[in-house]
Amino acid sequence: FAGGGVGGGNDFQWCFSQVKGAIDEDVAEADIISTVEFNYSGELLATGDKGGRVVIFQREQESKNRPLSRGEYNVYSTFQSHEPEFDYLKSLEIEEKINKIRWLPQQNAAHFLLSTNDKTIKLWKISERDKRAEGYNLKDEDGRLRDPFRITTLRVPVLMPMDLMVEASPRRIFANAHTYHINSISVNSDHETYLSADDLRINLWHLEITDRSFNIVDIKPANMEELTEVITAAECHPHQCNVFVYSSSKGTIRLCDMRAAALCDRHSKFFEEPEDPSSRSFFSEIISSISDVKFSHSGRYMMTRDYLSVKVWDLNMENRPVETYQVHEYLRSKLCSLYENDCIFDKFECCWNGSDSAIMTGSYNNFFRMFDRNTRRDITLEASRENSKPRAMLKPRKVCTGGKRKKDEISVDSLDFNKKILHTAWHPKENVIAVAATNNLYIFQDKIN
Amino acid sequence: MEYKVEAHRIMSISLGKIYNSRVQRGGIKLHKNLLVSLVLRSARQVYLSDYYAGVCLNAQHIEAKEWELMDADREKLIPASEAAQPSSADCGVSEAAQPGQTRTTGGAQLCLKRHVGAEDGRASRLQEKDGDSLDPSDVAVTSPVSPAISETQCGSSDCETDADAAVTEGDSRQPPKDHACSHRKRSAEETGVSETPVKRTKVTPNAIVANNEIEEGEEMDTSNVSNLITIFGSGFSGLLSKDSAKSESETDDSDSGSGQICCEQMLKNLNPWTTAIVAF
Repeated sequence: FAGGGVGGGNDFQWCFSQVKGAIDEDVAEADIISTVEFNYSGELLATGDKGGRVVIFQREQESKNRPLSRGEYNVYSTFQSHEPEFDYLKSLEIEEKINKIRWLPQQNAAHFLLSTNDKTIKLWKISERDKRAEGYNLKDEDGRLRDPFRITTLRVPVLMPMDLMVEASPRRIFANAHTYHINSISVNSDHETYLSADDLRINLWHLEITDRSFNIVDIKPANMEELTEVITAAECHPHQCNVFVYSSSKGTIRLCDMRAAALCDRHSKFFEEPEDPSSRSFFSEIISSISDVKFSHSGRYMMTRDYLSVKVWDLNMENRPVETYQVHEYLRSKLCSLYENDCIFDKFECCWNGSDSAIMTGSYNNFFRMFDRNTRRDITLEASRENSKPRAMLKPRKVCTGGKRKKDEISVDSLDFNKKILHTAWHPKENVIAVAATNNLYIFQDKIN
Repeated sequence: MEYKVEAHRIMSISLGKIYNSRVQRGGIKLHKNLLVSLVLRSARQVYLSDYYAGVCLNAQHIEAKEWELMDADREKLIPASEAAQPSSADCGVSEAAQPGQTRTTGGAQLCLKRHVGAEDGRASRLQEKDGDSLDPSDVAVTSPVSPAISETQCGSSDCETDADAAVTEGDSRQPPKDHACSHRKRSAEETGVSETPVKRTKVTPNAIVANNEIEEGEEMDTSNVSNLITIFGSGFSGLLSKDSAKSESETDDSDSGSGQICCEQMLKNLNPWTTAIVAF
């Protein structure tokens, strides 16, 4: 089938909408996007990069004046969230790279998000200022103090409109709680707590309290030499504030109930698919390591991403996933090369669409894949500047795995493994997707919109 | 056997990754290093899977070098059961990962016992090869580490040498059916292997580690261990005993004195050192 058609059940056509970022072939490492996240309404889209910066885009209101800029995202705020640090005690540099951004549900005019690097989580408040007080008594309009002896009258300052200014200020800093590298943060459905996970531990925080957190999972063995697996991702259940899951490097997922015990070392459910012994190789363990876990919006399912596939699990069935989608199975025969060039360690993320009918994940060569759970159709699309005319429809791509290469197909050996799409996000309500391709952010929309 | 070549290559790559991880920005990544160590362990298991299958009792202290001998020579001159010569220090495991750790030892025997069973001109040629005059077409030896027998190195890959050897020997080469070391049967595949020339690498930590691993069951040469510790730097928190899952000690462990601890532990654990350890 051609022309899109995945994502929502009808024949949607994915079209290019926008691309953000430098065109320059020379990519500065600091500009590499490391996380992408829509907020709950989809009005805001946040990206974090390796340089520790956060850029927030806001969707334009559709207006009759500018009908063509239907729902475009423009820069709303940019700020430096994290700086590189040096741990003198351990002689370790702490990278400023933003590992994850998670929005808080909006409760007032301001927006709040959590951003984290390897060690420190910060709560940022993003607020607008479009009025300014004028007519102070003690200082004049330039801000200089007035000579008190010159003041002869009193006046009440008045609020005057000003150009919109968006301010980001750090409201909380949650530090010193993680010995290992933080890989996940997740806001709880109670809107008061959140969890943060590193390789060996998961902590539960209260958003208001920065000087302590509760350790709820600890898989560090007494003797580190006995370590066999690490935590790779964790997420709170979207509705049940006592439930969370965490995935491991062994390809297993544990669901825990915080009501059961203060320390959730014993899982309530354990999800694992038996390994297929025929596909065993040196790299079986690496490719089974789960790089991302995401609950469906409904809370009924969860999705995991390992190196070659995406799996959908029913929370009520622990012994195997209900759906498995191959992302780039043609890489299975290349695992040794991918091990050599470190690509096998790439951590791909995955995401659901708003109705949980489709899932999306990235691949190499700036390809990303979408799977329709209902029709079982899948499509491969490419994020590239060549295909970046406004509203240009994306053409499905295909990787040729052997035999004769058809026209328009690309062979496995021609794939560019430096162009990897690790981070993608799907608008919570509409068919709008954000795809991070190294230092560029692509936004695609479906044509019907 | 290609899989051994592959296994050895993967081991070398893995060790390189572990080593490089120490200087990466942001500190050592526990997850990645754990995965690498798992690969290293798998590769090592494969690599050594045939080692004990044969009756290779005269395993000696092996250092990193390459040693290429013809099967025919070994067949004739050194029945495995007889091969009880003490080490020539040169008989090192090759970077090329010849299934011949035992070949190497056999080779050592060959060199030392060159006068034994010289039915053909081969042995006499070998006599000449004592010292520095080994004919590359017969024997491929690289011995960067204190060669006892010879410093000659072979210019070509192991496989080519094998092929050369086969040519040189001509009819006198016998199929190694009767050799006690079962892995010898690989000789049939040797010429086939020539398309995958083994990379000769200089002695590196990889080689040292590989050698150590091959020394399973033997006395550990602590000098190699010390080398490894030096290479990984301080903070070597100890080595795993066999079958333990691998890991690296945590980043918050103190680095002091662990090099020494490692040495001590190595001496205590004469068990096979099955997995690579990452020093933190």
